[in-house]
Amino acid sequence: MLRKRILVVCGAGIATSTVVARKLEEKLREKGINIETRQCKAAEVEGMLDNVDLIVSTTPVPDDIKVPVIKTLAFLTGIGEDEAIEEIVRGLRGR
Amino acid sequence: MALNEIINGLGITVLLPIVIFFLALVFKINGKKAFRSAVLIGIGFIGINLILGFFLNNLAPAASKMVEYTGAHLPIIDVGWPAAAAIAFAGKIGLFIIPIVVLVNFLMYTFRWTNTINVDVWNYWHFAFTGGLVYALTGNIWLGILASAINSALVLLLGDWTAPAVQEYYKIPGISIPHGFSAAFVPIAIPLNWILDKLHFDKIKADPVSIRKKWGIFGDPIIIGLILGMVVGFLGNMKNLGSIQAWFGILKLGMSMAGVMYIFPKMVAILMDGLIPISEGVRDFMKARASTRKFHIGLDSAILVGDPAAIASAMILVPIAVILMIIIPQNQILLAVDLAVLPFMVVMTIPITRGNVLKTVIIGTVIITGGLLIGTNLSPLFTKAAIQAQFNMPSGATQISSICDGSNPLSWLIVKLMDKSFGIAILIAIFFLFLYFYKKHEKGWEKIAGASKEYLEKSE
Repeated sequence: MLRKRILVVCGAGIATSTVVARKLEEKLREKGINIETRQCKAAEVEGMLDNVDLIVSTTPVPDDIKVPVIKTLAFLTGIGEDEAIEEIVRGLRGR
Repeated sequence: MALNEIINGLGITVLLPIVIFFLALVFKINGKKAFRSAVLIGIGFIGINLILGFFLNNLAPAASKMVEYTGAHLPIIDVGWPAAAAIAFAGKIGLFIIPIVVLVNFLMYTFRWTNTINVDVWNYWHFAFTGGLVYALTGNIWLGILASAINSALVLLLGDWTAPAVQEYYKIPGISIPHGFSAAFVPIAIPLNWILDKLHFDKIKADPVSIRKKWGIFGDPIIIGLILGMVVGFLGNMKNLGSIQAWFGILKLGMSMAGVMYIFPKMVAILMDGLIPISEGVRDFMKARASTRKFHIGLDSAILVGDPAAIASAMILVPIAVILMIIIPQNQILLAVDLAVLPFMVVMTIPITRGNVLKTVIIGTVIITGGLLIGTNLSPLFTKAAIQAQFNMPSGATQISSICDGSNPLSWLIVKLMDKSFGIAILIAIFFLFLYFYKKHEKGWEKIAGASKEYLEKSE
């Protein structure tokens, strides 16, 4: 399976996005899905879209983005992580 | 060998990983995972220290030449939140901050003084920072710990108070934002917003999306760094612009500053990476003990920062901040790293102004004006805290601060009150008065923080 690229977005592209990126890598590896994550902040999303399959964000991102966006706080709150992972898997397969 | 000797001998890059490792075991993290993340935390500090040294070694001499040639007296360098966070965690208070904040939160939840469970362990650093400044001032570790505890307690109340407004505006049910920096501006923004409404500023609407397209350059830290470095380099070379060497220097400084703006936060991401297991351990520990009644999960204000009005307002505030830095005579801070994080300053003002960019920019201008004075005032303590936390400072003469945490009005208030016993009494009185009046007029308070009547009725 091809390596999927996920852009993880948060306010500064440092703190919460690191938490989400590590979690995605761990959970998706368990499911046998190979991913590569990149992190950025919300203000620079538009410039980071090359070769990105999916955006997972903890913060609002602009509406007019061409890549599918999943906004979730599940990996921060620890509530609904499995559902979020399933949604992300579906999002990756949809491409 | 005395304990102090061991602490100073090991240095923070060894000591903090050891502390975090054992703390992780207490919170039932798997030993292998705990060990690796503890080592990562040490690596994060090494990275931050390297970049901080590079940054100050490059910018400080250029800034002092700029002072010499232009008379612009800006000797205090804004080292930004990456340095502030590292100084906070690496200080003596930082070693104990996780259990302190967890204990304060647990007690307040048990007494029904708060409905927030603050699981945003990373941002405990803001409280450690305040405590670190108090320790730098008084040399008394207990006063530092008390300051951190009071800071975290006040911010929990701010988190509760703003929760309905934040939940409604940002559409995040069940969440509150007990963020030591972002939440501190709420009590300032509310009266300012009220005045602006009386002056009919709420009628003037600006479109965040078009502002973002036009002012986008001020949202990119690399470009900010590049321009800033070249401007400081230019002003520092005014006397010898005829020489090609001077121009090499200007370009190199621009590139160096762009590099700092890009790399510095990445070093914090390493630290963050190392903190993940213990954050999750603390989160699960706290949630398991808070299941008796409903609570808000306290998260990082970073989850709000994508808001278009917040981004647009912060972009406009970047050039405004630079102008304020030059025209305010008492200011001595040379703005740099924290120009990239102004959105964090305004995100909790946004629900109060209902996303009105103009009002947010005006409130932000007032906050930054005050912030430059506070940051200038706190700079000696900030610098001392950095030295106490064993960071490399290029020379004794270099002074540092930051326009975010170094200019935080709540930290400033606590620092100013903590070194006198009646000041401590005042702080404790502020806490209880805040708690009493908020609980007494809960809905009314939540409404002035930006929640609508309909939302408050629905959530009952």
